Amino acid sequence: MWRDIVWLMLSTLKRTFRKRSSWLLFFGLPIAGILVSTVLYGGSGQSVLRVGIVNQDSGQRIAADTVQMVQGLKNIKLVQMSENELRSELAASNLDTGIILGSGYSQSIRGGNPDHITIQSVKGATVTAYIKAMLNQYIDNISSISRIAGTDSGKFDQLYGAFQSKEFKLTVSTVQDTSSTKRMSYQSIGFLIMFMMTSAVNLSELILINRENRTYFRILSSPISSKTYVLSNILVNLCVMLSQIVIALFFLKYVFKLSTGMSMGPMLFVLGLFSLTSVGISLVVVAFSKNSASAGALQNFIVTPSCLLSGCFIPLEIMPSAVRRIADFLPQNWVLESFEKLQTGGALSSIWFNLLLLVAFAALFFLIASYKFGRNNDTRNFV
Amino acid sequence: MNVLDIRGLTKKFGNFIAVDNISLSIREGEIFGFLGANGAGKSTTINMIASLLRPSSGEILILDRDIAKQSRFAKMNLGMVPQDLAIYEDMTSYENVSFFAGLYGLRGTELKDRTEEALQFVGLADKAKSYPRDFSGGMKRRLNIACALAHKPKLIIMDEPTVGIDPQSRNYILNSVRKLNEDGCTIIYTSHYMEEVEEICSRIAIVDHGKIIAEGTKEQLTATITDMKDIRIEVKSLTDVPADQLRLIPGVRTVRLDEMEPVIRIHSDAAVDNLNRILKELIASGAEIRSVEEQEPNLETVFLTLTGRNLRD
Repeated sequence: MWRDIVWLMLSTLKRTFRKRSSWLLFFGLPIAGILVSTVLYGGSGQSVLRVGIVNQDSGQRIAADTVQMVQGLKNIKLVQMSENELRSELAASNLDTGIILGSGYSQSIRGGNPDHITIQSVKGATVTAYIKAMLNQYIDNISSISRIAGTDSGKFDQLYGAFQSKEFKLTVSTVQDTSSTKRMSYQSIGFLIMFMMTSAVNLSELILINRENRTYFRILSSPISSKTYVLSNILVNLCVMLSQIVIALFFLKYVFKLSTGMSMGPMLFVLGLFSLTSVGISLVVVAFSKNSASAGALQNFIVTPSCLLSGCFIPLEIMPSAVRRIADFLPQNWVLESFEKLQTGGALSSIWFNLLLLVAFAALFFLIASYKFGRNNDTRNFV
Repeated sequence: MNVLDIRGLTKKFGNFIAVDNISLSIREGEIFGFLGANGAGKSTTINMIASLLRPSSGEILILDRDIAKQSRFAKMNLGMVPQDLAIYEDMTSYENVSFFAGLYGLRGTELKDRTEEALQFVGLADKAKSYPRDFSGGMKRRLNIACALAHKPKLIIMDEPTVGIDPQSRNYILNSVRKLNEDGCTIIYTSHYMEEVEEICSRIAIVDHGKIIAEGTKEQLTATITDMKDIRIEVKSLTDVPADQLRLIPGVRTVRLDEMEPVIRIHSDAAVDNLNRILKELIASGAEIRSVEEQEPNLETVFLTLTGRNLRD
């Protein structure tokens, strides 16, 4: 049996890869996916933050100095504006974040209880964290001076003057931030997942194409059984997908030099397990399709939307909670979640439930496909 | 020795009985003609012999081995030439034959020799490196046959191997069938061309509504038809032939106009003397008659008499 399987596999691989388009489809596109994710998510750690500031506490020294402090920060481009302008600029994505120093801001700090300051952004914590940290530090320092000086204005002015003249020194040093490259590698995996699924359907579709050109029946009239034939197709599929994973990860790490935040072994293991699920899905697509055209349509109906809903193209965090609940029923989501856990330092043992679910998904899809294949009693389909 | 034994073979698709309790034996060295109109159950039977369909009941033995129990042995001794071309357009002739021969376990020098031999046999040795997409219909049919020969099967099923090809390729294929038979192959041959079956088959079975309704040599089958006659009338042109009027004449069963010759072929009851009436109708319609011939019943007459329809219906 294995001799027959090897013969069928070699023939299928030879026929598939003699076409240049196959190299592009199976290996070129996943690499292009990494490239796309570096363009989409790259550079977010290095660019200048565009910050708008509204000073409604005008005439107050502390408020004016806060504006000065923010202006002095590295990688910040600060623009002063009205509150309405700030809102429209944020909505139009012309600003990354906005700060509103409300009336009474300086007074609240002077009283030791900082208030009347708001930070706004539509881009979330990734862009506000830096500004927030620097403002907290600055405001905490002045609050401390206020608490020490109490109601003694002279003492406050003396201490505050000394702080401003940099007798108290705040040093900002840059440490290497890998969150951006981790996000890129995470999204690259998202693209890889989609291309793995597309490849799996394309390879399983060979069963339908052989049915259409009648060679399938000639094969089955030889000593090859339908089970051997389908098994050889599954193994070809797995071989191609494993090669796809290795090549994509190689490009990710050594060509694009993206930090994945985890070692190669667990990545290979998780994606390898997902390749089984992909083959299962592709067999279900083939089992429910009458010809390669309908399989193509079914593939478009299943692969792209499910990848979108599970966060392969855009982060799941920015999606509505209803969509996130749907993602729980999609295997791609569990792969991406596994990567997230591994990126934050988790070991393989910490994702055992995810791995178990991937195996369960694969088993479920294989069962559905076998049931459908087995029920077909028509020579135009399966024996 | 029987190469194929079929016993009580039945195939049902839901409530529809496609093959109804067929029993048949084919001896070694025969070219066995399998005749039946579309939907008669012929292809279903062939698909069951080739293990492409599971029978609902009954058994099939190839070289005395039950194919349900010893499927591999049966398949190793079977070559299938399907009606629809079953070749890869993106593989050369050599690669096609070699791939299918490899499915029977052939490897290395043996595989190479057998592949070359099969291509030589069908006259495609000089096209070994060519792709079927560049072939004529006849060449593709020959490659389709070569793919079933390289493993040297004892029994070859040829399902309509000459459909849609030019007369030259047809003759080549018919000669190949004879040659294969001389080399010891037993052949099951199906065709819509009655002349081919008459020409090459040593024994014939006629299938209708899933049953074998007649079986024997050509002579045995035609001898059973004593109440039919065939009238062949050659005319200058078929334009003026009143075919519908001719069909109304008592005794006339069918009227077929053969535009190639041009000839009118009439199947009629032998007991009814209607030749004069037929000729009168033709003359009245202005048809110019060149010759009239009353022929002995042939296989087509047998088929028509037994099934009530033409093979090409």
